Order: sequence, then structure tokens, then C-alpha cells
Amino acid sequence: MGAEIAALGSLLGLTSAFALVGTGLAAWMAWRIVEKAGLPGWTGLGAVLITLTGIGTVVPLILLWVFAFMRWPRDEHRAVLFVPGAPAATMPNPQLAPPRPALPAAAAAASPMARGWQLSGAGYTLSFNATSGTWIVTGGTAEKASDLSLPDPSIGRPHARLLVAGDRLGLEDLGSPGGTMIDGARLLPEHGPRDVSAARTIRFGTIDLALSRS
Amino acid sequence: MWHLLRDWALMNASIVSWLFGLGSLLLFAVLVVHLLFALLLIIPTWRICSRAGFSGALSLFHLVPLIGSFVVMAILAFSTWPAGEAARERR
Repeated sequence: MGAEIAALGSLLGLTSAFALVGTGLAAWMAWRIVEKAGLPGWTGLGAVLITLTGIGTVVPLILLWVFAFMRWPRDEHRAVLFVPGAPAATMPNPQLAPPRPALPAAAAAASPMARGWQLSGAGYTLSFNATSGTWIVTGGTAEKASDLSLPDPSIGRPHARLLVAGDRLGLEDLGSPGGTMIDGARLLPEHGPRDVSAARTIRFGTIDLALSRS
Repeated sequence: MWHLLRDWALMNASIVSWLFGLGSLLLFAVLVVHLLFALLLIIPTWRICSRAGFSGALSLFHLVPLIGSFVVMAILAFSTWPAGEAARERR
């Protein structure tokens, strides 16, 4: 009898250890998922860890539904399409964007003296001075005046299109295999041109470039 | 003597069939409850998967008992979302 109780006890101990590991794993994954949606990671972690309390699984289930149908911060600062020539009033609402202390590009954008744009990093500098126009980022040699050459195997030929309209800068991925990222967020060809005036870093393939006004 | 044996066999058969009936009913009830609970997870996860850029059918992994939910969460947590992700913490 004693042996049976001991065996049952160890089995229960084992299952509760598995449950604990499973909950920890789920909490970590929930942290990563909500961060990708633009929410603070602790909200996902907390939602899963609630299952350890006496509330049970009802509250996390409700939170899952809320998460699925709520507005995600990710969509709020990526939603506005770049329309060349559109007035600045169609820019994303700065109230919606997360606070960005000491943002060099945005700060310089407010200055009437700022004219051109500069992308620099990894030994490369791409600069273009104009208030309107289109530039093509390519991994090959610059054949036209509007080509910006980034001779790197991870850069497509062509890789991306940069559009300048007034004080705004747009970026469009042209289906390059190396990919394009805006502040760590993937830009796909189907997204079309995006307003990147307030972005800090643009990644073409494996090259990270800091965006600033020149 | 013979009719006693026959009664005993009949009783046994009825008990066995009754147990079978109860077992299949229980199994059916467990299946229905599992499906209902999975549906409660599948509907929001379908939407999350499609907003992330994956096929919504990925959420059907919730139908797999025990590990299904972990599989969906792992795919969402450790892959690059095709529809784009929020910018990571500013450096």
C-alpha cells in the first residue's frame, strides 16, 4: 500500500513538474508573440502565468480572444501607405506611435534646413538630395543617376525603391531574396511603399543602415 | 439448471452491452467537449495566424491533444511573421 502511494505521489509530482515546465514554455512563447504584435512582452507572460493562480483557464482564454480581435500596435504605425505628393497631414498620428526619445531623423525632419536623406552603416553611405524623386537600391553597379549601389551578395538587383516627396521618405521592397527591414520589422513587396521618414534603421539584406537627414 | 445458466449468460451479455454503450457514450462526450474547447481556441488563433500572415488553418493544430497548442504557439513565437512584426526594442 505504501509503495503504491509513493508511486502515485511520484507520478503526480512528475506530471506537476511537466505542467510547470509547459506553463513556463507557454509564457515565454506568449511573451514573444505579443511582442511581435507590438504589445509589451509581460502582457503575454502574465496572461499565461494567470493559469498558475486559482482563476483557472477562463481568464487566459478571454485574454486570448481579446488579443485576437484587438487593434495591434504593429498595425498602427505601419498602416499608412506612402503616397508621393500627399500632404504631411496624412502622416501617421504621432500620438499612436510609441515614444521615441532623441529620434535623429524625426528631429531633423522638423528642421526647414534639412533637405536630403542619408543612409549610412557597414562602410556604406547612400545619400540623395532632392525634394522629389525615385531611387533604386541595387547590388550591382549604379548604371543610372537614380541608382544607389550597395555591392553586397545579400542585395538584390534591384533590391528596393526609395521615394522622396517633400519632407517624406518612402521605401518599397522589390521582391529581393535578402529582404528589407524597417526598424526590425519585415517589409514585403505586397506592402507597397511605406513611409519611413521617422524610421531609425533600414536593413537591406544583411546590411544595417542608419537613416538620417543630411 | 439449464435455465439458470441461460439467465446468467443473458445477464452477462446485457451487462457487457450496457458497459459498451456507456463507454462509447463517455467517449463521445469526451470528444464533443474536446472539440468544443478546441473551437474556443481555434477561432481566436485562426485570426491571430491570419493577421500574422500565416494560413488560418494552422490553428487546427489545437485539435491535437496536449501538444497541439504548443506547436501553434511555437510557430507564432519563433518564426518571422510574413505580414510583418512590430519594431523590436529601440537600440
